[in-house]
Amino acid sequence: MICTSTERDQLVNQEKLTFSGFTLSVHGVLEDYEIDSIRDFIEEYKRSIFNAGKLVLDFSNSPGIDSVAAAVLYGACKQFTRAGVRVRRTGTLPVIENLFETLAGFDSMPEPHKKRMSIRDYFENIGENVYEMGKTLYSLGHFFGDTLYAFMNLVLRPMKVRWSMVLYYMEESGVKAIPIIAILTWLLGLVLGYQAGFQLKELAAETLMPAMLGYIITWEIGPMLTAVLVAGRSGSAYAAEIGTMQVREEVDALRVMGFDVFSYLVTPKMIGLLCVMPFLVLLANFSGIFGGMLAGSLFLGLPPSTFISELGKALIPLDIYWGMLKSFIYAVIIANVGSFMGMRVRGGASAVGKATTAAVVLSIFMVIIADALLSLLFVHIRPGLSL
Amino acid sequence: MKPVLSVEDLQGGWDELLVLDGISFQVTRGEVLAIVGKSGCGKSTLMHFLLGLLKPWKGRVLFKDEDIWSSPEALQKARTRWGVTFQSGALLGNLTLLENVILPLKEYTDISERELRIVAYSKLDTVGLADSADSYPLEVSGGMQKRAGLARAMALDPEVLFFDEPSAGLDPVTSGNLDELIKTINSSLGTTIVIVTHELTSIFAISDRVVMLDSDVHGIIAVGTAVELRDNSSDERVRAFFGRNLAAEKRGN
Repeated sequence: MICTSTERDQLVNQEKLTFSGFTLSVHGVLEDYEIDSIRDFIEEYKRSIFNAGKLVLDFSNSPGIDSVAAAVLYGACKQFTRAGVRVRRTGTLPVIENLFETLAGFDSMPEPHKKRMSIRDYFENIGENVYEMGKTLYSLGHFFGDTLYAFMNLVLRPMKVRWSMVLYYMEESGVKAIPIIAILTWLLGLVLGYQAGFQLKELAAETLMPAMLGYIITWEIGPMLTAVLVAGRSGSAYAAEIGTMQVREEVDALRVMGFDVFSYLVTPKMIGLLCVMPFLVLLANFSGIFGGMLAGSLFLGLPPSTFISELGKALIPLDIYWGMLKSFIYAVIIANVGSFMGMRVRGGASAVGKATTAAVVLSIFMVIIADALLSLLFVHIRPGLSL
Repeated sequence: MKPVLSVEDLQGGWDELLVLDGISFQVTRGEVLAIVGKSGCGKSTLMHFLLGLLKPWKGRVLFKDEDIWSSPEALQKARTRWGVTFQSGALLGNLTLLENVILPLKEYTDISERELRIVAYSKLDTVGLADSADSYPLEVSGGMQKRAGLARAMALDPEVLFFDEPSAGLDPVTSGNLDELIKTINSSLGTTIVIVTHELTSIFAISDRVVMLDSDVHGIIAVGTAVELRDNSSDERVRAFFGRNLAAEKRGN
């Protein structure tokens, strides 16, 4: 707390501290909000104390002291003692004396020894982290397997699916994501269309822009951006939902009631995402291409009819279907990783926060890896792409 | 009498941390068994083992002479025959109290929607919550959540009811009412009850027998009735635990 000059004046005016000769007398109870004033007061009489070579703290008129104020006084006295001043207390009630003795007892404890990290420790740390990551991935693989098993059971008995929850997650993860996905992909299509068109115009090849934009949007940007946005919105929500249920023992309650938590908690999320993701990707594709078309007509003098005809020449139905197909894999990844991170929650609210962050990071990481692998496959599948 | 639940030489813990070792005891039909001990002694961990939420590293948990870990079916079968109320009530937050009670009924019975509601209402009525059936868990008090949890645990007329710290966070009156309710269920329905608690009032009020755990030995240090352990135990730790009650009684007098 910063002590204002007014507060200090008050302290002096109240005469809680007085100094005479070599005696510092305390009157009343020193409070924690007065510590700056206490420091200032001692500072003012420091020279006199050094000159006297001794200091008597007189607590005869003090019925008690705040522990923070006591710590400040104790610290000041310690400095004086180090400088050769003889310090003693007088008139202290047992409660005050005990407090000073406790402070002295803890002060004499050795400082915690900070261990310096050796190179061996450094590598051990890396090893432990890698081992932990391996264990997490192993558990995640196990989790994927359990979810798949539960999913196959539900495929055989569709009446067991909690369809009300599936519809709920379709709305939460699909319908409510439409505005953000449409706006962002539209903006990205606009920017990409403009930037690509501007470069191509230099070469008088701006008519290639629709094809280039169509490939970029349908192959990568549409599916990927959709997956990233859904991972951010829904993957984190799944982790938080299940994590909170873990903290509140709801998951344990379901288990001991004999419920298969994978069928009850995970598969409705996964089925919901599997139903909406392809359409979100389709929306992202259309929205992005529409943005590019707008950029063409506004900045490059490319009429929408020319844009559409050039796009029609470049794209084949597989380009659209492929993005939608990829979204199934992304849906499985996002729903599983989100739920997995939620299930791992142990402890309290902070663990839920960590789980949501981890769910988003790992989902996006795995989506990108899956995308890279699928792109390699796509090169071999799509006509006209083989090198 | 034949035990309904047995624990044989159980050893286990969380991850690599040993919490319990050499645990063996039996619970007979219709008995109220209290698992007691200081905080951190492993009471809730033992409950996790009894409920099949943790797998023992060694030893067995038997429900009606069948090891619950012998097959997934055995565990599932056992779980349909017992009910659990957790410390927090553990009600699903997105369902009303009535829907929470309906949940196990819907999963394991083949009765109509109307019959489901009637049964669930009757269970809520048993715990005095029929009027709050359409409330959500967050709209009712902690005590009511626990009672609703009890109604859900009783939905399938279980053979064994487990309680994890039923008095935690409740005022003495509500806690006493809950104790009475537990005793009533035990005496009127003959339900076997396993209760984890450190509330001495509850232990003396409802338990037939007490198993006391201690963290130093990772195991059981005393078994007997609450009065026996209070009055006759030669173990310092047991006397210290139950002595709190004597001291409180003396202060009250």
